[in-house]
Amino acid sequence: MKFSRLIIQIFLVVAVVTSLILSFFIWTNTARYQRGRDVDVSTSDVDKNKIPIDQVISPTQVIWQDGKDQRLIYNNEDNISMNIQKIIKNWEFDNFKRVFTKDGARYQRMIQRKNAIQLVYPTNISSQTLGYLIGDKEMQKSPDNRFNRIIFTVNNSKDNYIYLGNDSTYSVYRAKVSNASSAPILKLARKSNIDLPVRFQMMKHGIVTFYTEPIKLKTYSYVLNEKQDSEYTTSLFDTDSSDIVTSTDGNIYSYNVGESKRLVSDHAKGELTFSDYTDTSVPKDWLTFFQRGYKKATNIQSSVSNLRLYNANWKEKTLIYREYVEGFPIFKKSEFGSIKISFSRNGSSESFLNKVLEVPVPSDQNSVTLKSTTSIMKSLETAGYSPNDVQKLEIGYQWTNEEDQNDVVDLEPTYYIKINDHWRSFENWTNESAEEE
Amino acid sequence: MDFRRIEIIFLVVFLSLDAFLLVSFHNSQQVISNSTSGVTSTVTDMRKRNISFGKLDKTTGNAYYLGAQPDNVLASNISQLRGQEVQYNQTTHKITSTLTDPISITSSNKVTKLDKFLKNKTNIIKGKAYEYAPQLSSKTSIVYAETSDLGDMYDKTGQIVFSVANNRVISYTQTYVNNLQILHEKQATKSERDVITTLYSNSEIPNNSKISYANMAYTKLLTAKNSTIYIPVWFITIHNKDSKVDTIKKVNAFTGNIIKTSTNGDDYSNE
Repeated sequence: MKFSRLIIQIFLVVAVVTSLILSFFIWTNTARYQRGRDVDVSTSDVDKNKIPIDQVISPTQVIWQDGKDQRLIYNNEDNISMNIQKIIKNWEFDNFKRVFTKDGARYQRMIQRKNAIQLVYPTNISSQTLGYLIGDKEMQKSPDNRFNRIIFTVNNSKDNYIYLGNDSTYSVYRAKVSNASSAPILKLARKSNIDLPVRFQMMKHGIVTFYTEPIKLKTYSYVLNEKQDSEYTTSLFDTDSSDIVTSTDGNIYSYNVGESKRLVSDHAKGELTFSDYTDTSVPKDWLTFFQRGYKKATNIQSSVSNLRLYNANWKEKTLIYREYVEGFPIFKKSEFGSIKISFSRNGSSESFLNKVLEVPVPSDQNSVTLKSTTSIMKSLETAGYSPNDVQKLEIGYQWTNEEDQNDVVDLEPTYYIKINDHWRSFENWTNESAEEE
Repeated sequence: MDFRRIEIIFLVVFLSLDAFLLVSFHNSQQVISNSTSGVTSTVTDMRKRNISFGKLDKTTGNAYYLGAQPDNVLASNISQLRGQEVQYNQTTHKITSTLTDPISITSSNKVTKLDKFLKNKTNIIKGKAYEYAPQLSSKTSIVYAETSDLGDMYDKTGQIVFSVANNRVISYTQTYVNNLQILHEKQATKSERDVITTLYSNSEIPNNSKISYANMAYTKLLTAKNSTIYIPVWFITIHNKDSKVDTIKKVNAFTGNIIKTSTNGDDYSNE
């Protein structure tokens, strides 16, 4: 009697322990399984046609200090930045440690280092995000540092570090790198066919890339695709078209699914805004922020395009994407770029334009020579804008001659300046041309 | 006694819990393996349905958007041609020529004979720029496609088509694309395996058939601003073993989208 009871008790203990072990395995395993699925987002069959995430979140400028001077390099047949990223994927990194912070003078020396390559992102990203993009699990788990520059020396065997620089806090982080060689990077840099002398200038609102000489840039033409509202409703609502209630008010068309989702399309401006009131969670970390933004952005614009993450505002939880041509952003007529995504407790919203650049065509316009940035700053000052007013300044492409031929648009380079939180072209601020006479 | 019964009940409950956990653990393991072997299973599925094909290349490549403007290089060189009656169409920029002495060929020597014919400047203008394209050829026509270091071009705007009747080449038409311009930086293209699995999952490959050719070549996408724009397209020839008919399926190599238009391989624009 007693013996059989002992057996039952032993079995009971074994059963309880087994259930605990199994639960533990399932818990840890599910986590692994879900992460595996996340990685699969870019490779699985359904999403194969989407722009890969490492292309959307990618450095847009490559700066090479070759020992003599600093230049922005680009290859309009083979993207240097993407190729360098491919090489970096094979490097092995130690943990990042902060070298210094809030030290402007040291930061300036850092970004002007000799024999160095810099990859510059248009906005701050985070080291965990970088770890995710280059497939480095360790980096993905280590503390999350914000940065917008990746700097490493070439031709310097004593410096085995890779540096991450943050323009807004003047901080630098570094990590030891192994299994890396500068030879393939230099080979790519030498293949560049656009080569513009630059200088990084520290200004009140941050660091601005100054083009020290007048620069000649090509104009481009693209075939436009103007999408119908129905193309968006199918992908955004993810429901039967019979559930969608449509209403119109002049040029404003609204599409609703119950009280939860709404798409408003302004046919006069070609702007659309989608609100999802069920999507009320706010991303808790930068990587999730970018992943969710990527998913939404590629759902709107899934075809082959040069969409890049342009601005990430963590405080307001907004992401802005722009299309790029030859390493320079395209400024459309909207204030928000190509796509703007915001997350909030009240639901997420996505604003975008219905005109998408699809196919490049040979341009019949001549190349444009832009003034040097120094003379642009002088003209701004004459027009009443002090250098301290300039929040950002960069070269971008503007849409022109859209009206001549409905399906083809010309892209012309010019300077864009952000003052008082508004992006406008140099012509708009000063009524002067940015072109060299 | 009661306490013992409680123990037994607990034992039963935990054992069934264990069984449930085991099953769910097993299931989650299976999901992982399924998600990675999706493409492989498509390939085995195709074999099961009696679709035969060689080894499918997994490597993705790179290609460009190319542009070219209409050009009169053919017209300005017409005077060099001998032994043929030549006509030139100004709007389509096409040579149509009838040979004074037709070339007799057999199925085994046609390529060597025509290759030799092409090399001679007095026979064909820029003949060295073309290569035999068996995928586009048929019993009544032999097609030579224009090639350059950027790749082959399978398009009506850059090819020579020889007409064959009674084992004799009697005439040909020729078009030529001059000065191809790269319009955009290199972009990734889909692999052979990607496009064939896409075609299969879209029910474009019938059972009991053979994939006889798979080539990527540039073809015309559209005309804008007086220029023709070319993109890389996968040309997949499927031979239906039941009906003995060949069809060419085209897939946009940048996007992986199937191009659904005519079935006669040389052009998919509406020209």
